[in-house]
Amino acid sequence: MTNELPPGLALQKVDERIMTLNVGPQHPGSGHMRIIVQIDGDYIVACDPDPGYVHRGEEKMAEYRNYITNIPHLERPVIHDSCNVLYPYVLGAEELLGIEVPERAKYVRVIASELNRCIYIMYWLAIYGIFLGHSTMFMWPAGDRELLIDLMEKMTGARVTHAHFVPGGVRNDLPPNFEDVCLRQVNYFEKRIKEYAAVFYDNPILIARTQDTGVLSRQDAIRYGTTGSVLRASGVDYDLRKKEPYDVYDELDIHTNVMKEGDSYARSRIPWLDMIESCNIIRQALQKMPKSGSVRTKLKPNPKGKGLDSVYKRVESGRGSLGCYIVSDGKPEPYRVKLSVPSFRNLIALPNLLRGEKLGNMPSVYWSLNYWPVEADR
Amino acid sequence: MGTASGIVRALNSGIKHLAIKRFTLRYPEEKLKFVGDGYQFDPSTGVGIAGLKGRHMLFHDHCTGCQLCSIACEGVAEAIAMVKVPEEQKQNKKSIMPQIDYGKCVFCGLCVDACPFYALYMTNDYELSSFSKEGLIYTPAQLQVKPYVAQDSEIQISDRGATHG
Repeated sequence: MTNELPPGLALQKVDERIMTLNVGPQHPGSGHMRIIVQIDGDYIVACDPDPGYVHRGEEKMAEYRNYITNIPHLERPVIHDSCNVLYPYVLGAEELLGIEVPERAKYVRVIASELNRCIYIMYWLAIYGIFLGHSTMFMWPAGDRELLIDLMEKMTGARVTHAHFVPGGVRNDLPPNFEDVCLRQVNYFEKRIKEYAAVFYDNPILIARTQDTGVLSRQDAIRYGTTGSVLRASGVDYDLRKKEPYDVYDELDIHTNVMKEGDSYARSRIPWLDMIESCNIIRQALQKMPKSGSVRTKLKPNPKGKGLDSVYKRVESGRGSLGCYIVSDGKPEPYRVKLSVPSFRNLIALPNLLRGEKLGNMPSVYWSLNYWPVEADR
Repeated sequence: MGTASGIVRALNSGIKHLAIKRFTLRYPEEKLKFVGDGYQFDPSTGVGIAGLKGRHMLFHDHCTGCQLCSIACEGVAEAIAMVKVPEEQKQNKKSIMPQIDYGKCVFCGLCVDACPFYALYMTNDYELSSFSKEGLIYTPAQLQVKPYVAQDSEIQISDRGATHG
């Protein structure tokens, strides 16, 4: 007995079977970008990510503003991770302008950077949860994120765009009694995120949906140049906080989380493990931080670079290694600022991951790349 | 772990939250508590004092009309304009003072860092909504008023979870 197709289907040639589907830019499942997907039935044949809808010209804007006034607009690409986005620019500007940073300021920066990393990952986790249809995982991270936003508000005076890091340290000292409040809320936060294991990460429904989907092999992860949680989920132990320590990360004991599977599940689990590690780093930094001292080197009104010079600095942000290349020509404004962003590097792997997957698996694969459209477009 | 026991464990983890107190803040009735009186800056040491970056406050007796706050805002938001002060009010040498458009301000506080005369601070006032664009422009006379901000709620952590109380 043969499997006869219904009359309409049997006539079709291969070209007619393939349908092109635009996911985005208005579709809520894609963020501010478009993914052009070609599907054969339920299976994805080819995929073409199309970013660029939220290009703001951050790099060009930086050429017309001096080293201080660049700060508020350079943190706009990822407002939830604003300290980490600013970090490489500030480190580079310090080297160009020849500024020494006080020891206490370095610890304050590490604490702010780790808090921001957790805030970003919680926001990402909320989106990841809701696109897998798990609305509890939308509500819990969105609520628990408030504990850390409250700390950032006490520390910097703003809930999202902090403008806290400046060349030479940070804008203001910690408020009185901050260490105790920070320790209490971070400890409770860690206890809360460990509860996510039972409801989300060990949930058989999530495992069935994400395991063995969108597998990125170790070789491909290195070849495409992916960074951060995507690279670590494919079995490459690479974390800039350990490989190229900046500020005081070399004095702290950091453990990196690596998984070998390289599938969607591993990519979603690594950021969660990173958050638990961030809590450890915050506790260590609070303990080792000098109890008093200056947090900012006083600058001249309009600092200038020393002639033609360039610098490249990179840090580990919430999404991966984030680099900033600054060229100075001795004027108060930088000659060129180039951001090398992790979101764009991770997006390059998407066509390879989606080929041969079912369309229903697209959200779980796409969001597991830790992709932030605004950052990729700059 | 089997599929059934995994689902039971996930459900159980959610059910436990029935006994946990409500975390959310009832906003207009309850308001968050902040540290200090808003973001301030000490030009002698070059370091700020932690606080919320809210609406500005202008001290007319310190302001000299030097325009440094307006220059600091160029290229950030261009929200500060130097305007003529009416004759019946306290004057400075140039008789100009900053007027701030909160439709443009991004609350970065770089204008506070720029002021060398302790004349411009930020306060805890964050409820600045208005029915018109003109209502968002604060004149020097309006900026002089110290706002009253109700602050009654803080994050508290107990055995039954975190609450705002």
